Amino acid sequence: MSNTANTLKIHTFTCAWCGLTATKTASDGSLRNHCPSCLHSQHVSDHVEGGPSECDGRMSPIAIAVLRTGDWMLIHRCVRCDELTSNPVCADDNQLILMRMAVRPLAQPPFPLEALGSL
Amino acid sequence: MPRRTRPRGHDDRRSQRRKDVLHEASGHRANDFRCAGCRLDVSLHAPGTAHRNHCPQCLASLHVDRRIPGDRASECRGRMEAVAVFTRPDGEWMIVHQCLSCGELSSNRIAGDDNALALVRLALRPLHDTDRASRTLINL
Repeated sequence: MSNTANTLKIHTFTCAWCGLTATKTASDGSLRNHCPSCLHSQHVSDHVEGGPSECDGRMSPIAIAVLRTGDWMLIHRCVRCDELTSNPVCADDNQLILMRMAVRPLAQPPFPLEALGSL
Repeated sequence: MPRRTRPRGHDDRRSQRRKDVLHEASGHRANDFRCAGCRLDVSLHAPGTAHRNHCPQCLASLHVDRRIPGDRASECRGRMEAVAVFTRPDGEWMIVHQCLSCGELSSNRIAGDDNALALVRLALRPLHDTDRASRTLINL
């Protein structure tokens, strides 16, 4: 019984936001660090100093960055300490949330986009 | 070979005068910076924001802050390139910068005189690859 519990702990994690139990490795073998359903993550590694972080805060997805190779990177921000991290997007991530994040800035432009049409 | 027509130790040359032109420390250029990407001279006074940290033309920045914006505690000094745009809940656009030498990320509010074309190009970058975007839409 305890053996099963340990196996579950090693191979899965529970999302800090939606509570979904997700496997630590994605279907294509890559390591997963965010929930595939709500894309939230947890602040476990410190990127300024390096090494593990004591923050443990929830990290919400805020933006999509594009690498030179064309791959999408998901940018998370810690809700407790405002640190930013970027991670590659997995194949089974929630496409609706990804697409919503990609078009979100265009829904609220700080200047009229019509002017760009005349360029 | 320096000329030694006078006996040594009897040098009456005056030492070099101290410069009284202050370029950067507190002089007339204290509020300016030069962009690391396009070499544009940028004034720190920006419309719409009190914390300008990137070039309004090419949106490049410099990695000088460590954890707190404005602490100037980082030794990296690498060039930071804009990688993404996101909106705050109140509708403000923010730019995410990534350091090209150490990979660190930071975010900053856009300024009123930022290049609109560069901003829109940055916002459209995820949708630029039509393959990736249409595959995402089909999977919805």
